[in-house]
Amino acid sequence: MAAVPSRAGEPTDQVRGTIDRVLEILKKKELQAKEKRAERRALLRGEISKAFDFDEMAKRSLGPPWRQRTQEERKEYVTLFRQVLENSYLGKIEAYQGEKIRYMKDSVEEGRIATVETFIVTGKGQEIPVNYRMVKERTDWRVYDVVIEEISLVNNYRSQFGGILQRSSFEDLLARLREMVKASDSGSGSRKEGR
Amino acid sequence: MNRKIGFETAVGIFIVAGIACLAWLSLRLGKVEIGGGNQFPVSAEFASVAGLRAGSTVEIAGVQVGAVESIGVKDYKAVVRMRVHGGIGLPEDTIASVRTRGLIGDKYINLSPGASDRMIPAGGKIRETEGALDLEGLIGEFIHGSAKK
Repeated sequence: MAAVPSRAGEPTDQVRGTIDRVLEILKKKELQAKEKRAERRALLRGEISKAFDFDEMAKRSLGPPWRQRTQEERKEYVTLFRQVLENSYLGKIEAYQGEKIRYMKDSVEEGRIATVETFIVTGKGQEIPVNYRMVKERTDWRVYDVVIEEISLVNNYRSQFGGILQRSSFEDLLARLREMVKASDSGSGSRKEGR
Repeated sequence: MNRKIGFETAVGIFIVAGIACLAWLSLRLGKVEIGGGNQFPVSAEFASVAGLRAGSTVEIAGVQVGAVESIGVKDYKAVVRMRVHGGIGLPEDTIASVRTRGLIGDKYINLSPGASDRMIPAGGKIRETEGALDLEGLIGEFIHGSAKK
Protein backbone atom coordinates (compact mmCIF):
# COMPACT_ATOMS: atom_id res chain seq x y z
CA MET A 1 0.00 0.00 0.00
CA ALA A 2 1.34 3.42 -0.87
CA ALA A 3 2.01 5.98 1.86
CA VAL A 4 -0.56 8.75 1.89
CA PRO A 5 1.12 12.05 2.67
CA SER A 6 -1.03 14.58 4.47
CA ARG A 7 -0.42 18.02 5.77
CA ALA A 8 -1.20 17.18 9.38
CA GLY A 9 -3.52 14.44 10.51
CA GLU A 10 -4.31 12.46 13.62
CA PRO A 11 -0.76 11.30 14.33
CA THR A 12 0.56 14.86 14.24
CA ASP A 13 -2.27 16.01 16.50
CA GLN A 14 -1.29 13.32 18.97
CA VAL A 15 2.37 14.39 19.03
CA ARG A 16 1.51 18.06 19.13
CA GLY A 17 -0.94 17.51 21.98
CA THR A 18 1.64 15.65 24.06
CA ILE A 19 4.39 18.19 23.42
CA ASP A 20 2.04 21.10 24.26
CA ARG A 21 0.98 19.48 27.53
CA VAL A 22 4.59 18.69 28.44
CA LEU A 23 5.61 22.31 27.82
CA GLU A 24 2.68 23.46 29.95
CA ILE A 25 3.93 21.32 32.83
CA LEU A 26 7.43 22.72 32.41
CA LYS A 27 6.17 26.29 32.43
CA LYS A 28 4.01 25.94 35.56
CA LYS A 29 5.52 28.33 38.08
CA GLU A 30 4.36 26.30 41.06
CA LEU A 31 6.32 23.27 39.84
CA GLN A 32 9.61 25.00 39.13
CA ALA A 33 11.13 24.64 42.59
CA LYS A 34 13.59 21.86 43.36
CA GLU A 35 11.31 20.35 46.01
CA LYS A 36 8.62 19.99 43.38
CA ARG A 37 10.80 17.92 41.10
CA ALA A 38 9.27 14.56 42.02
CA GLU A 39 5.77 15.92 41.46
CA ARG A 40 6.74 17.54 38.18
CA ARG A 41 8.41 14.34 36.98
CA ALA A 42 5.35 12.28 37.91
CA LEU A 43 3.20 14.54 35.73
CA LEU A 44 5.70 14.40 32.89
CA ARG A 45 5.90 10.60 33.14
CA GLY A 46 2.12 10.43 32.94
CA GLU A 47 2.05 12.40 29.69
CA ILE A 48 4.90 10.44 28.15
CA SER A 49 3.40 7.04 29.04
CA LYS A 50 0.29 7.94 27.12
CA ALA A 51 2.21 8.86 24.00
CA PHE A 52 4.94 6.20 24.00
CA ASP A 53 4.46 2.46 23.69
CA PHE A 54 7.39 1.40 25.87
CA ASP A 55 6.57 -2.30 25.57
CA GLU A 56 6.90 -2.16 21.82
CA MET A 57 10.02 -0.01 21.99
CA ALA A 58 11.64 -2.41 24.44
CA LYS A 59 10.78 -5.45 22.32
CA ARG A 60 12.14 -3.88 19.14
CA SER A 61 15.27 -2.67 20.91
CA LEU A 62 16.15 -6.17 22.06
CA GLY A 63 15.67 -7.61 18.59
CA PRO A 64 15.86 -11.36 17.82
CA PRO A 65 16.98 -12.36 21.37
CA TRP A 66 13.51 -11.30 22.55
CA ARG A 67 12.02 -14.52 21.18
CA GLN A 68 14.09 -16.79 23.41
CA ARG A 69 13.35 -14.96 26.65
CA THR A 70 10.77 -16.18 29.16
CA GLN A 71 7.78 -14.09 30.23
CA GLU A 72 9.47 -13.10 33.52
CA GLU A 73 12.72 -12.13 31.77
CA ARG A 74 10.82 -10.02 29.25
CA LYS A 75 8.86 -8.31 32.00
CA GLU A 76 11.99 -7.46 33.96
CA TYR A 77 13.77 -6.23 30.85
CA VAL A 78 10.85 -4.02 29.76
CA THR A 79 10.59 -2.46 33.24
CA LEU A 80 14.30 -1.61 33.28
CA PHE A 81 14.31 -0.39 29.69
CA ARG A 82 11.37 1.85 30.42
CA GLN A 83 13.15 3.39 33.39
CA VAL A 84 16.33 3.96 31.37
CA LEU A 85 14.34 5.67 28.63
CA GLU A 86 12.21 7.74 30.97
CA ASN A 87 15.21 9.03 32.88
CA SER A 88 16.93 9.86 29.62
CA TYR A 89 13.88 11.75 28.31
CA LEU A 90 13.10 13.52 31.55
CA GLY A 91 16.64 14.83 31.70
CA LYS A 92 16.44 16.19 28.18
CA ILE A 93 12.94 17.62 28.62
CA GLU A 94 13.93 19.42 31.79
CA ALA A 95 16.82 21.00 29.89
CA TYR A 96 14.31 22.68 27.57
CA GLN A 97 15.35 26.23 26.78
CA GLY A 98 12.61 27.55 24.55
CA GLU A 99 13.32 25.51 21.42
CA LYS A 100 10.54 25.66 18.84
CA ILE A 101 8.95 22.63 17.25
CA ARG A 102 8.02 22.75 13.58
CA TYR A 103 5.53 20.18 12.41
CA MET A 104 6.12 19.29 8.77
CA LYS A 105 3.84 16.47 7.70
CA ASP A 106 2.76 12.97 8.53
CA SER A 107 2.21 9.94 6.36
CA VAL A 108 0.18 6.88 7.15
CA GLU A 109 0.66 3.37 5.78
CA GLU A 110 -2.01 0.70 5.79
CA GLY A 111 -3.97 2.85 8.21
CA ARG A 112 -1.85 1.78 11.16
CA ILE A 113 1.79 2.92 10.82
CA ALA A 114 2.58 6.62 10.73
CA THR A 115 5.61 8.86 10.51
CA VAL A 116 5.33 12.35 11.99
CA GLU A 117 8.06 14.62 10.66
CA THR A 118 9.11 17.54 12.85
CA PHE A 119 12.05 19.84 13.34
CA ILE A 120 13.42 21.09 16.62
CA VAL A 121 14.71 24.61 16.07
CA THR A 122 17.33 25.61 18.62
CA GLY A 123 18.05 29.10 19.86
CA LYS A 124 21.03 29.22 17.51
CA GLY A 125 18.81 28.48 14.53
CA GLN A 126 19.93 24.86 14.10
CA GLU A 127 17.21 22.66 12.69
CA ILE A 128 17.26 19.12 13.97
CA PRO A 129 15.01 16.67 12.12
CA VAL A 130 13.04 14.48 14.56
CA ASN A 131 10.70 11.86 13.14
CA TYR A 132 8.25 9.91 15.28
CA ARG A 133 7.27 6.41 14.16
CA MET A 134 3.85 5.60 15.50
CA VAL A 135 1.48 2.66 15.53
CA LYS A 136 -2.26 2.88 15.91
CA GLU A 137 -3.55 0.94 18.89
CA ARG A 138 -7.33 0.96 18.91
CA THR A 139 -7.98 4.69 18.77
CA ASP A 140 -4.64 6.11 19.86
CA TRP A 141 -1.43 6.64 18.00
CA ARG A 142 1.61 5.76 20.09
CA VAL A 143 5.30 6.24 19.41
CA TYR A 144 7.47 3.14 18.98
CA ASP A 145 10.61 4.78 17.62
CA VAL A 146 12.18 8.22 17.44
CA VAL A 147 14.50 8.92 14.52
CA ILE A 148 16.76 11.94 15.04
CA GLU A 149 19.02 12.99 12.16
CA GLU A 150 18.30 9.61 10.51
CA ILE A 151 19.44 7.75 13.64
CA SER A 152 16.83 5.45 15.14
CA LEU A 153 16.57 5.15 18.91
CA VAL A 154 15.52 1.52 18.58
CA ASN A 155 18.42 0.66 16.28
CA ASN A 156 20.85 2.43 18.58
CA TYR A 157 19.81 0.28 21.56
CA ARG A 158 19.48 -2.83 19.42
CA SER A 159 23.14 -2.72 18.36
CA GLN A 160 24.32 -1.96 21.89
CA PHE A 161 22.24 -4.71 23.47
CA GLY A 162 23.21 -7.11 20.69
CA GLY A 163 26.86 -6.42 21.44
CA ILE A 164 26.41 -7.01 25.16
CA LEU A 165 24.49 -10.25 24.58
CA GLN A 166 27.18 -11.37 22.16
CA ARG A 167 29.98 -10.80 24.66
CA SER A 168 28.24 -11.94 27.85
CA SER A 169 24.69 -12.82 28.91
CA PHE A 170 21.14 -11.61 29.32
CA GLU A 171 21.71 -11.32 33.07
CA ASP A 172 24.63 -9.07 32.32
CA LEU A 173 22.43 -6.90 30.09
CA LEU A 174 19.89 -6.53 32.91
CA ALA A 175 22.69 -5.63 35.33
CA ARG A 176 23.96 -3.04 32.84
CA LEU A 177 20.46 -1.53 32.58
CA ARG A 178 20.18 -1.37 36.37
CA GLU A 179 23.50 0.51 36.44
CA MET A 180 22.19 2.97 33.86
CA VAL A 181 19.07 3.61 35.91
CA LYS A 182 21.11 4.18 39.05
CA ALA A 183 23.51 6.50 37.25
CA SER A 184 20.77 8.68 35.79
CA ASP A 185 18.90 8.79 39.10
CA SER A 186 21.91 10.09 41.02
CA GLY A 187 23.20 12.32 38.22
CA SER A 188 19.91 14.13 37.70
CA GLY A 189 20.29 16.04 40.94
CA SER A 190 22.74 18.30 39.15
CA ARG A 191 20.25 19.42 36.49
CA LYS A 192 19.47 23.10 36.30
CA GLU A 193 16.09 23.86 37.83
CA GLY A 194 13.76 26.49 36.41
CA ARG A 195 14.97 28.94 33.87
CA MET B 1 61.36 -34.77 -32.95
CA ASN B 2 59.56 -36.78 -30.24
CA ARG B 3 61.20 -34.79 -27.47
CA LYS B 4 60.01 -31.54 -29.08
CA ILE B 5 56.42 -32.79 -29.37
CA GLY B 6 56.55 -33.97 -25.77
CA PHE B 7 57.86 -30.57 -24.68
CA GLU B 8 55.18 -28.67 -26.58
CA THR B 9 52.47 -30.88 -25.13
CA ALA B 10 53.72 -30.14 -21.64
CA VAL B 11 53.69 -26.41 -22.36
CA GLY B 12 50.14 -26.78 -23.75
CA ILE B 13 48.98 -28.55 -20.60
CA PHE B 14 50.52 -25.88 -18.38
CA ILE B 15 48.81 -23.13 -20.37
CA VAL B 16 45.41 -24.85 -20.12
CA ALA B 17 45.95 -25.40 -16.40
CA GLY B 18 46.94 -21.75 -16.01
CA ILE B 19 43.85 -20.52 -17.79
CA ALA B 20 41.69 -22.86 -15.72
CA CYS B 21 43.20 -21.39 -12.56
CA LEU B 22 42.59 -17.86 -13.79
CA ALA B 23 38.98 -18.74 -14.60
CA TRP B 24 38.47 -20.23 -11.14
CA LEU B 25 40.09 -17.20 -9.49
CA SER B 26 37.96 -14.70 -11.39
CA LEU B 27 34.80 -16.59 -10.56
CA ARG B 28 35.70 -16.63 -6.87
CA LEU B 29 36.84 -13.01 -6.71
CA GLY B 30 34.10 -11.73 -8.97
CA LYS B 31 31.50 -13.42 -6.77
CA VAL B 32 29.66 -14.54 -9.85
CA GLU B 33 26.70 -16.60 -8.76
CA ILE B 34 26.08 -19.54 -11.00
CA GLY B 35 22.51 -20.65 -10.59
CA GLY B 36 21.74 -17.61 -8.37
CA GLY B 37 18.27 -18.77 -7.53
CA ASN B 38 16.66 -18.47 -4.11
CA GLN B 39 16.85 -14.66 -4.16
CA PHE B 40 14.27 -12.78 -2.12
CA PRO B 41 13.21 -9.31 -3.33
CA VAL B 42 12.42 -6.55 -0.83
CA SER B 43 12.26 -2.78 -1.04
CA ALA B 44 12.86 0.11 1.35
CA GLU B 45 12.45 3.88 1.28
CA PHE B 46 15.08 6.29 2.53
CA ALA B 47 15.25 10.05 2.95
CA SER B 48 18.67 9.92 1.29
CA VAL B 49 20.88 7.21 -0.17
CA ALA B 50 23.76 9.50 -1.16
CA GLY B 51 26.21 7.31 -3.09
CA LEU B 52 24.43 3.98 -2.90
CA ARG B 53 24.17 2.35 -6.32
CA ALA B 54 22.89 -0.76 -8.07
CA GLY B 55 25.19 -3.57 -7.06
CA SER B 56 25.97 -2.14 -3.61
CA THR B 57 26.01 -4.88 -1.02
CA VAL B 58 23.32 -5.67 1.52
CA GLU B 59 24.71 -6.99 4.80
CA ILE B 60 23.65 -8.55 8.06
CA ALA B 61 26.22 -8.64 10.86
CA GLY B 62 28.94 -7.64 8.43
CA VAL B 63 28.24 -10.53 6.07
CA GLN B 64 26.94 -9.95 2.56
CA VAL B 65 23.46 -11.44 2.17
CA GLY B 66 22.37 -9.70 -0.98
CA ALA B 67 22.73 -6.72 -3.28
CA VAL B 68 20.92 -3.59 -4.41
CA GLU B 69 19.05 -4.15 -7.65
CA SER B 70 17.77 -0.69 -8.47
CA ILE B 71 17.25 2.75 -6.96
CA GLY B 72 14.41 5.08 -7.87
CA VAL B 73 12.58 8.11 -6.52
CA LYS B 74 8.99 8.20 -5.25
CA ASP B 75 7.40 11.20 -3.51
CA TYR B 76 10.90 12.70 -3.21
CA LYS B 77 12.12 9.67 -1.28
CA ALA B 78 14.66 7.15 -2.53
CA VAL B 79 13.15 3.72 -3.18
CA VAL B 80 15.71 0.93 -3.11
CA ARG B 81 14.93 -2.51 -4.50
CA MET B 82 17.25 -5.23 -3.31
CA ARG B 83 17.61 -8.99 -3.36
CA VAL B 84 18.47 -10.98 -0.27
CA HIS B 85 19.42 -14.68 -0.01
CA GLY B 86 16.25 -16.65 0.52
CA GLY B 87 16.17 -18.60 3.75
CA ILE B 88 17.04 -15.52 5.78
CA GLY B 89 13.81 -14.43 7.42
CA LEU B 90 13.42 -10.68 7.86
CA PRO B 91 11.16 -9.83 10.82
CA GLU B 92 8.67 -7.02 10.24
CA ASP B 93 10.60 -4.62 12.49
CA THR B 94 13.91 -5.12 10.68
CA ILE B 95 15.74 -1.82 10.24
CA ALA B 96 17.55 -1.04 6.98
CA SER B 97 20.31 1.59 7.20
CA VAL B 98 22.48 3.20 4.54
CA ARG B 99 26.01 3.03 5.91
CA THR B 100 29.48 3.98 4.74
CA ARG B 101 32.62 1.89 4.86
CA GLY B 102 34.96 3.75 7.13
CA LEU B 103 33.95 7.39 6.91
CA ILE B 104 34.21 8.14 3.20
CA GLY B 105 34.13 4.73 1.52
CA ASP B 106 31.49 2.81 -0.41
CA LYS B 107 27.90 2.92 0.66
CA TYR B 108 26.09 -0.28 1.57
CA ILE B 109 22.85 -1.33 3.22
CA ASN B 110 22.94 -2.82 6.69
CA LEU B 111 19.98 -4.89 7.86
CA SER B 112 19.32 -5.16 11.58
CA PRO B 113 16.81 -7.97 12.25
CA GLY B 114 14.03 -7.30 14.74
CA ALA B 115 11.98 -9.14 17.33
CA SER B 116 8.68 -9.55 15.51
CA ASP B 117 7.22 -12.98 14.83
CA ARG B 118 5.83 -11.77 11.54
CA MET B 119 8.20 -11.90 8.57
CA ILE B 120 8.39 -9.53 5.63
CA PRO B 121 7.02 -11.41 2.59
CA ALA B 122 8.85 -11.68 -0.73
CA GLY B 123 8.29 -8.44 -2.62
CA GLY B 124 7.44 -6.73 0.66
CA LYS B 125 8.78 -3.55 2.18
CA ILE B 126 11.21 -2.90 5.02
CA ARG B 127 9.38 -0.09 6.80
CA GLU B 128 11.97 0.99 9.34
CA THR B 129 14.87 2.78 7.69
CA GLU B 130 17.77 5.08 8.46
CA GLY B 131 18.93 7.19 5.54
CA ALA B 132 22.49 8.19 4.73
CA LEU B 133 23.99 10.53 7.29
CA ASP B 134 24.75 13.89 5.83
CA LEU B 135 28.29 14.17 7.11
CA GLU B 136 29.03 17.41 5.29
CA GLY B 137 25.83 18.87 6.74
CA LEU B 138 26.75 17.85 10.27
CA ILE B 139 30.24 19.30 9.85
CA GLY B 140 28.63 22.44 8.45
CA GLU B 141 26.33 22.69 11.47
CA PHE B 142 29.28 22.27 13.79
CA ILE B 143 31.22 24.99 12.02
CA HIS B 144 28.12 27.12 11.63
CA GLY B 145 27.26 26.70 15.30
CA SER B 146 30.69 27.56 16.61
CA ALA B 147 30.97 30.56 14.30
CA LYS B 148 27.85 31.99 15.99
CA LYS B 149 29.48 31.76 19.40
